[in-house]
Amino acid sequence: MIIPHSSSVKRILFSILFMSVGFPALIIFLSSCSTGMMVNHTDQQIEDVSRTQYSIVCIIHGDGDYLYHDTSSNEHTADQEALAQVISISRQNPQAEVLIFHQQPKRNFLFFFPQKDGEFYYYRNGRLIANEMYWRNQQHSDFDPEIALYNRFHTNDQNKMVRVFMYFGHEIPEFGGAGYNLSYPGQEFNINDLAEKLKGFTHDSSRFDLMILSTCFGGTPYTIETLGSYARIIVASPDNLHLSYFNLSSLERLDISLRNRDVLSFAKRFAQQAFDRLTSDVQTAVSVAVYDVDSTQEYLHSVQGIYNQTISALKSESPVSKPIIEPCDCAEIPGYVLPIMNKGVDIFYRPARFGRLKSKYSHSGWECWMDIKKQGTILKLTEPVQKSNQ
Amino acid sequence: MKLQITLGTIAMIFIMAFPAVAGGTGELQKYFSDASAKVKATNNPIEKREILNNSFINMSKALNTVQNLPFISENDRAGINNLKTKLQEKQDELSGSNGFVRVSDGQLNTFSDYVVQSSEQAFEVITISLVALLLIILIVILIV
Repeated sequence: MIIPHSSSVKRILFSILFMSVGFPALIIFLSSCSTGMMVNHTDQQIEDVSRTQYSIVCIIHGDGDYLYHDTSSNEHTADQEALAQVISISRQNPQAEVLIFHQQPKRNFLFFFPQKDGEFYYYRNGRLIANEMYWRNQQHSDFDPEIALYNRFHTNDQNKMVRVFMYFGHEIPEFGGAGYNLSYPGQEFNINDLAEKLKGFTHDSSRFDLMILSTCFGGTPYTIETLGSYARIIVASPDNLHLSYFNLSSLERLDISLRNRDVLSFAKRFAQQAFDRLTSDVQTAVSVAVYDVDSTQEYLHSVQGIYNQTISALKSESPVSKPIIEPCDCAEIPGYVLPIMNKGVDIFYRPARFGRLKSKYSHSGWECWMDIKKQGTILKLTEPVQKSNQ
Repeated sequence: MKLQITLGTIAMIFIMAFPAVAGGTGELQKYFSDASAKVKATNNPIEKREILNNSFINMSKALNTVQNLPFISENDRAGINNLKTKLQEKQDELSGSNGFVRVSDGQLNTFSDYVVQSSEQAFEVITISLVALLLIILIVILIV
C-alpha cells in the first residue's frame, strides 16, 4: 500500500477546497465587480432618437425600511413596487426615454464580497436599452454615479422634450438627514442635497417641466422653494404619504395624454388619479398637491422669514431650546395664513378616517412644523417675526 | 419582573439581533399587521376589540420598559413618548374615552387597517434609533 506524502495530501485537500468553495466564491466576487448586464446597448445608436419627446428621470430610494402591508396583511416592499410601476410605464411610452436609478441596500456575498448597490435601467421608446448594476457613492450621499449614467445615456435634445423627474422614498429631511441611507448611516441626505444633485440632471437645459415627489411631507414651503429652482410644476404630498406611493398609470402613453404639452393640466389629472387610488385603500390622511412653482413664489417669500426661524430653532444643539416637532397644516399657524396662501396650489385632500383630525376637511396644501414640547405651536418660536409682519 | 425582562432582553438581543435588525421598523409594523389579520379573522366584535386593545396594551408596556432603561437617549425618550401618545389616542378612540367617539362595531376592520397604516408612516418611528426599536420589538415578543 502506497502512503502518499503528507504535503501531497495537503495539496489535494487544498485543491478540493478551492474547487468547492474558493472557485465559486472567486467567480461570484469577480462577477460582483463586473459592469453588470447590458441589454441592447448597441441598439442605442440605431434607435430613432427623434421620436423621443418625453424624458423621465426616476430615482427610487430603497436603502431603508420600506416594508408595508396591504389590507390583506400581505407584505410589500415600497421600492420594489415603485420599480415595477415605473418599468410598466417605461414599456408603455413609445415616445419617451426613462432613466431609472434604484438605490439598494448594501449587501455582501458570503459576508465578505461587496455587491453593487444600485441598479440602472434605460428605456427608450418602450424598449429596454440598458440595464446595469452600479456602485452608489459610499462616501457622500450624492448622485454622481447616477449623473454619470445619465450623461452616458440620455438623448441630447433635452430642450425640445417634456422633462419629468420622479423621486420615491421616505421623507427627505430639510436639514441634517443622517441615517437616510441605512447602509451608510454616517451620510446625510436632505432637501439641499437633492437640489444640489438635481443640477447634474438639468445642466443642459432649464428646469424639469414636472417633478413628482413621492415622499411624506413633500409640500413644505422650504421643500417647494428649494426644489422649485429645478422644476416648473411639482406634485407632492404635504402630509404623510402611504408607502404605496402615487399611482403612476397617468404616465402611460404620454404621447396621448401630454400631446398638447400642457403640463399643469396633466399634473392635476395625475394628482386626481393618484388621490383616487390612495383614498380607495388608505385609511390615514391622503393629500396630493400640485404646485405651480412660479405662482407660489410670492407666498413663499412672505413666509420665508418665519419658516427659517423655525428651521434655525430645530437645528439648535441645546436640548432645552430645541423644539420637538410634529407636522401640521400651515393654515393652523396664524403667521402662515395669508390671502395669497392658495395661489398656485391645487390640493386634493381627505382626512384620516379615524384619529383626532378626522373632522379636518380641508388642507392648505402647505405643511409646517408644530412645537409640541411647548404644548403650543411654532407660533411661539416665531413671535417677533409675526409681529413685524403684522 | 423587571430583572427578568432585562435579562431576557439581553439574551434575546443575542439570539434575535440579526433578523430583527434586518427587519428594522418592519417588525414593529408586522406586529400591528398580525393583530389586524386576527381582527379580520373573527366576526365577533368583542373579540376584535380585545385583540386590538391587547395589542395596544402590550406595545405600551414595551414602550414604557424601553423608555425607562438607563441608556436610552433623550431623543429616543421623546420619540417613544410621542409614539405612546399616539397609541393612547388609538386606544381611547377604540373605547370611546377622552373625548373620542367610540369606533363602531362595523368599523373595527377598517380601524385595524388604520392602525397598521399609521404605524407604517409613523413620523415618530423614524426619530427613534434602531437600538431602541430593536429593544421595543424584543420586549413585545417577550410580553406576548
